[in-house]
Amino acid sequence: MTHNVERAATWMYRGVWGILTRWFRVPEAPPSLPTLPGEVLQSFRPADGFLGYLKLKFWVVFSLNAALIIVIWVAVTAARPWIGAWLTPLLIVLLLVPLVLGYLAIHLRFDSTWYVLSQRSLRIRSGIWTISEATITFENIQNVTVESGPVERFFNIGNVIVDTAGGGSGGGQHGSKGPPNLHRGALAGVSNANEIRHVILSRLSHSKVSGLGDEFPLPPTGWRGEHLAVLREIRDALR
Amino acid sequence: MSPFDPAKVERPAPALLKYYIIMALLTGPLSVFVILPLLFKYETLRYKFDSEGMSMSWGILMRREIYLTYRRIQDIHLTRNIIQRWLGLATISVQTASGSSSPEVSIEGILEADALRDFLYTKMRGAREHHDEEQVAPPADEALSLLREIRDLLRRRVQPESQP
Repeated sequence: MTHNVERAATWMYRGVWGILTRWFRVPEAPPSLPTLPGEVLQSFRPADGFLGYLKLKFWVVFSLNAALIIVIWVAVTAARPWIGAWLTPLLIVLLLVPLVLGYLAIHLRFDSTWYVLSQRSLRIRSGIWTISEATITFENIQNVTVESGPVERFFNIGNVIVDTAGGGSGGGQHGSKGPPNLHRGALAGVSNANEIRHVILSRLSHSKVSGLGDEFPLPPTGWRGEHLAVLREIRDALR
Repeated sequence: MSPFDPAKVERPAPALLKYYIIMALLTGPLSVFVILPLLFKYETLRYKFDSEGMSMSWGILMRREIYLTYRRIQDIHLTRNIIQRWLGLATISVQTASGSSSPEVSIEGILEADALRDFLYTKMRGAREHHDEEQVAPPADEALSLLREIRDLLRRRVQPESQP
C-alpha cells in the first residue's frame, strides 16, 4: 500500500517538475561558473538530511494546526452533529491540501537548490518562482559562520554562512524575517559544513588583501634580482 | 553564436518594456500611476560598459547616473522571476561594500544576462589571481630600463676620467 502511494507520489512529482522546467523555465542543470584552465568545479545539493529536517519542521507545524482544526470539528460535532457531518468534507480538504502542498514545496525547494564551489568563488542558486543566483569570490569574504541547531545536528546537517563587506539593515540571521541581506550567502543544510568552512578559510588565508578594494595602496616597488645587479654595477662604476 | 561583447550594450532590450507594462498591470488600479515612471525609466535607461567599470543612467526629472569600477564589486546576484523567465530577461544586482542593504546597481533588460554576469564575475576581485602580476610587471620593467640607462650614463662619464 505505502509502496504504491510512494510510486504515485513520485510519478506526480515528476509531472510537476516537468511542467516547471518546460513552461516555467526552471533550469534543470546545476549552475556553472566561468573557470580558468585546470580549475575544478564542485556542485552539490543540500544533504539528504536537509529533506528530513524540513519535513520534520513541516510536520510539527502541520500537526499543531491539524490538532486545532480537529478539536474545533469535534466540538462542533458534539454540539450539533448534523453540522459536523456537513463539515467533514471540508475537514478532509483542510487537512489534505496543506499536506500535499507542503510536501511539494519542500521537495521543490530541495531540488532547486544548488551550491557550486570553484577554486576562487562560490555560487548559490535557490528558488522556484524567483530563481536567484548569488556569486561571491572567496577574496571578498569577510567571515564564515557555521551554525546548526539540535534538530539539525540530529540530521547531521549544518549551515555555512559567508558574509562579505558592507552591511545594511537587511534581515540578519538566516531564516529570520525581513528583507534578505544581499551581502550574505548561505549554504543551508549541508552534511560537511565544517569541511566546507575549512576549504573556504584555507583559500581565504592565501589571499593577501582584505577584500575591501585596497590591493594597490602604493605603487609596487618590485626590486628583483636584475634591478639589484644593475644597482651593483652602478656602485662599481662609481668606485 | 558570436561571443558576447558588453561594450555593445547601451540600451535595454525591448522586452523590458513589456515586462514593465506587465508589472504595472499587475498592480491593478494603481497601474496608471506605476506605469509612467517605468516608461520614463525604460526610455532614458542607458548602459555603458568599458574596460574598467560600468555606468548606468536614467531619469527625466530626477536624473541619476551611477558609475562603479569592476574591482569594487563585492557580490553579484542574478534573479529571474517567472515573468522575466518567459521574456528571457533577468535582473543583475551588483553590490559594493557600501552600507546599504539594497543593491547599488540593478541591471535590467539584458537578454544575455548570463554572459554579462560572467563578464562581471571575471572582472571582479578574486576571480583571477594573475591580475595583480599583470599590473605590477610594467612599472618594474620601466624601473629596470631606467637603472640601466643611469648605469650606462655613469660609465660613460666615469670611464674617460679614469682611463688617462
